[in-house]
Amino acid sequence: MIIRLLLLPLLALLFLPGCASEGDPARSITLWEQMEPAEQALLADHLAHFESTHPGVRVQTVHFETENLRNHFQTAALARTGPDLVYGPSDHVGPFSIMGLIEPLEGLVPADTLALFLDDAKPSLEGHVYRLADQVGNHLTLVLNRAYVPDPPEDTEEFLRLARENTVDLDGDGRIDRYGVVFNLTEPFWLVPWLGGFGGWVMDDHFRPTLDSEAMRQALAFVRRLVDEGVIPPSCDYPLADTLFKQGSAAMTINGPWSWQAYRDQGIDVGLALLPRIAGTDRYPQPMTSCKGYSMNRWVPEVRRSLVIELLEYLTSAPVVGEVSTRLGALPSRTDVARWPRLREDPTLQASWNQLVHGRLMPVVPEMRVLWDVMRPGLQQVVSGALTPAEAARRMQRQALRKIEEMKL
Amino acid sequence: MSRRTALLLFLGPSALVLGLIVLWPFVYNFWISLTNLGLYTIRDGAHFIGLAQYRRIFLEPELYTYLGKTLVWTFVNVFFHVVLGVGLALLLNRPYRGRAIYRALLILPWALPQYIAALSWRGMFNYEYGQINLILNHLGLPQVPWLSTETGAFAAAIITNVWLGFPFMMVVALGGLQSIPREMYEAADIDGAGRWWRLRHVTLPLLRPVMMPAIVLGTIWTFNNLNVIWLVTNQGEPGDSSHILVTYVYKAAFNYYRYGYAAAFSVLIFFVLVGLTWLNYRQANKSTYGA
Repeated sequence: MIIRLLLLPLLALLFLPGCASEGDPARSITLWEQMEPAEQALLADHLAHFESTHPGVRVQTVHFETENLRNHFQTAALARTGPDLVYGPSDHVGPFSIMGLIEPLEGLVPADTLALFLDDAKPSLEGHVYRLADQVGNHLTLVLNRAYVPDPPEDTEEFLRLARENTVDLDGDGRIDRYGVVFNLTEPFWLVPWLGGFGGWVMDDHFRPTLDSEAMRQALAFVRRLVDEGVIPPSCDYPLADTLFKQGSAAMTINGPWSWQAYRDQGIDVGLALLPRIAGTDRYPQPMTSCKGYSMNRWVPEVRRSLVIELLEYLTSAPVVGEVSTRLGALPSRTDVARWPRLREDPTLQASWNQLVHGRLMPVVPEMRVLWDVMRPGLQQVVSGALTPAEAARRMQRQALRKIEEMKL
Repeated sequence: MSRRTALLLFLGPSALVLGLIVLWPFVYNFWISLTNLGLYTIRDGAHFIGLAQYRRIFLEPELYTYLGKTLVWTFVNVFFHVVLGVGLALLLNRPYRGRAIYRALLILPWALPQYIAALSWRGMFNYEYGQINLILNHLGLPQVPWLSTETGAFAAAIITNVWLGFPFMMVVALGGLQSIPREMYEAADIDGAGRWWRLRHVTLPLLRPVMMPAIVLGTIWTFNNLNVIWLVTNQGEPGDSSHILVTYVYKAAFNYYRYGYAAAFSVLIFFVLVGLTWLNYRQANKSTYGA
């Protein structure tokens, strides 16, 4: 308590200028976001509409990069200041709610409105809904360059065969000019779909890590096999995969919705397909899914609370969510919007939706951050050959348990 | 107005500002280091736990591993900053055609934002497509797995930081060289001193008073340099093996919310830096005054 009393005045001094509401405090709202430029432009249109229908109301937005948004919001809200609404990915919900910085929404937004949202679109912890999304997904999908791979592979064996056929040295100089597949081998986000496909997951229902599993060993061995067969560059990270695919130097990639339009803009004949079924089983890879949406600061003054809730409901209303989907190509967060014929007929959204069905919601607990950090070196060391899949899985689990314990000390 | 009041009026405001921006955060950080402030305690208030965080730090291997790496990082970087900086300053201090262009080119790394330079260098260290390995390949040398091994990643960060840091020392040394009176060299010439003798007994001793504060500053900056390691090694990869103390503390505080632990680590870093600075100054005084 003494710490907070000491901390509050300084933090308040630091953040008050950044989140001061101009004019009438009852009618001035501040929103912090980490949106892409296209999302920002759309938000500006929606806010202009909200202001025009609410004379005298002004909504001020402040943009941050994702990690900065998390740090700044934490610091500001701990000092009982900060924005009224914060927009970001679902994994922010864990730390924000545990620290008591955001408001549970089930008492503020009508139950029949909440019922319209997909489960993936209202991340919750300990039975409370802390965020309402305007889009869901953010999941990985198989992306084909149809000039090389016209039809998607059925299963992982066919995927490997296609990758082998498309890994070629065109000019005979001993260097590969086109790879069969490229994806980020340095980030475990790209390992998780295979982990799910082999029947595993990162944590159990009590949020305890489950990384030392047969599924993890198989997933790591599968990634290692891609490297051993030479169908993927062994040092493939995100920028390299992205560049090679954009240049037409790769037949397939694995990437999320944020990347597809950029590939089309480069003139690639893009095909979206399900990540291939695990050969010999009926299981499909399970990419992690998440959402992006709005949470309400716990310290919103009573004087503008109802107005902030009204804005939150407007920004997650059917027309706005529908426009986010149609204009940005994101999957809608609401069931009523998901039924719109024009969205159901969009081939990109449909392909994305098909993959989402096989996905699994990313846990929003802060322990997830530890799991990323321990899976990353394990994956990298298996790719480089420094560890076997079994050793890597054992090490991941041991480190995860240790680091999670340390977080509580 | 009494002399005492006048002094108070003149010094009071600056003392107050210094207290607020230097002393108070330091005291507050020390206070946090005596608590269990973290993700799960911040909501309901952290508890005073005495020196438990310090005890934990001293018992863990991380302190010794990362302290060793930090000392290597600091020493290697500052050594190359000074050697390259002074060496280039000596070359640039002579009159020759195109000197201004060389000066501008050599200062360029300093003018580039660290963030951009670090990320560009990270790209250049890519195993297969990075320019460094392509050049090595061209010379018939084997490719180096820069970013996927502990030594490679640490070396990559050092190379980047040497490139970023030598222009500062070069500019300081150049200023120092230009302030050495020509008469000193003329006197040395009359005494029949050669080029090496003049460098050793005239140039370097007279550069020392200019270089020492720069070296102390450079040591502190390098010791606390978060950006380069963080960006080049992508947060201490592979597997948290290429951290120095400050990147490890940053990760503990802002990725894992271990505020009490990170605060205790910061206090220890502060004392290590105080010790290093004191040693530096003592050495400088000894060399300058023979004390």
